Amino acid sequence: MFTQFFGNYLLKKGVIDADQLLTILQNQSTVKIKLGTLAMCEGYMTASEVEKIHILQTHVDKKFGELAIEEGYLTPEQVEELCTTQRPDYLTFGQALVDGGYVTAHELEDLMIDYQSEHEIEEDDLNDTQKDSISVLVNDVYTFDEFESSSGCVNYVTLLFNNLIRFIGKDFTPLDAQILPEYATKNCTFQNIMGDLQMFTGIDMDVATSIEFASRYMGKTMDEYDEYIEASVEDFLNLHNGLFSVNMSNDVGIELDLEPLGHVVDSIISLDSIVFYIPVIFPFGTVNFLLSPNIFKG
Amino acid sequence: MAKILICDDSILARSQMRDMLSNIGDFEVFEAKNGAEAIEVYKENKPDMAFLDIVMPVKNGIDVVKEIMEFDKDAKIIMASSLGNNSNLKAALEGGAIDFIQKPVDEERLREILNKNLGGR
Repeated sequence: MFTQFFGNYLLKKGVIDADQLLTILQNQSTVKIKLGTLAMCEGYMTASEVEKIHILQTHVDKKFGELAIEEGYLTPEQVEELCTTQRPDYLTFGQALVDGGYVTAHELEDLMIDYQSEHEIEEDDLNDTQKDSISVLVNDVYTFDEFESSSGCVNYVTLLFNNLIRFIGKDFTPLDAQILPEYATKNCTFQNIMGDLQMFTGIDMDVATSIEFASRYMGKTMDEYDEYIEASVEDFLNLHNGLFSVNMSNDVGIELDLEPLGHVVDSIISLDSIVFYIPVIFPFGTVNFLLSPNIFKG
Repeated sequence: MAKILICDDSILARSQMRDMLSNIGDFEVFEAKNGAEAIEVYKENKPDMAFLDIVMPVKNGIDVVKEIMEFDKDAKIIMASSLGNNSNLKAALEGGAIDFIQKPVDEERLREILNKNLGGR
């Protein structure tokens, strides 16, 4: 989850723009993480040392690991460890940034340090999916003052990001939320949550994005927009809201009920209060997740 | 051949259940996409078992259970419940449904329900 928000952080800092973010997300799957980046991330080497080895590699035909051992930066055991360790997701993102020429290895190192320090992220958290540490990050980025239960919304959004990772893929970046008096939909699936924490929830995206979203969710390629695509998106929202309801009941004793799902196309969602939406950028398109304290009847 | 009614507003849920049923055995399957349609199809075909979604447009699963039970007191109705619908599920079971299955449906659980309630049919 820290990886996903790192993209958001870079956007806010002006390091990359939205188009560049999309390109990085699209390239991420083909990125090969270099040994130097791994060594830097583990704290075995500094960016300068990595750069020095890269320069040496232009003079002699040797592998990075061999040269790093010769130069005394790494031990053979460390090279072995780096080659066999599972790659953390944020490293793939970082490598794609460097490979794309958006930042140098030095700049990446600094940005990572700033990012961790601004959000008080511990080293261990970077590979962690602890619910509490993600909630803190969600709380840092989004405010839900307009809602009756801000903590309920944080739980909702935290679970949403976890479910996206679980059911759709981890190659996304959530952007800052937009708050509007009304919202113009493209292809929107919605569901009202009723009970002690009443909320309108929705997913909105264009047709092409819906097809890819549904394909990922169903685990099979779907080519044309049809009722199965619509039902798949509905199924995702219903499943997510169901899990949220169960969590709220188990964790804080709040009982919720879900209304039937609805679908609107090219409509205006106008409620008596605000519509809060979070755009989430995937390589295949942008998915907007909607929330409002007031329910919507379609 | 046993007759099964699947009632769910999601075409995806209906087709997944239909696929599972065909993996399990030979059934004559009827579908309905809302509560009102489910009652109509039930009365017309008198299925051996009906799987009803709880949250549906037009008429919800709880009302459908009551109406079907009035028409056929021996109806074997199984509620297909999404997460987060426990209070509705309780009402449906009190209304006469004999069991429930959690969605997304697990094929083994479906097989178990069919064996338990339809026996060798």
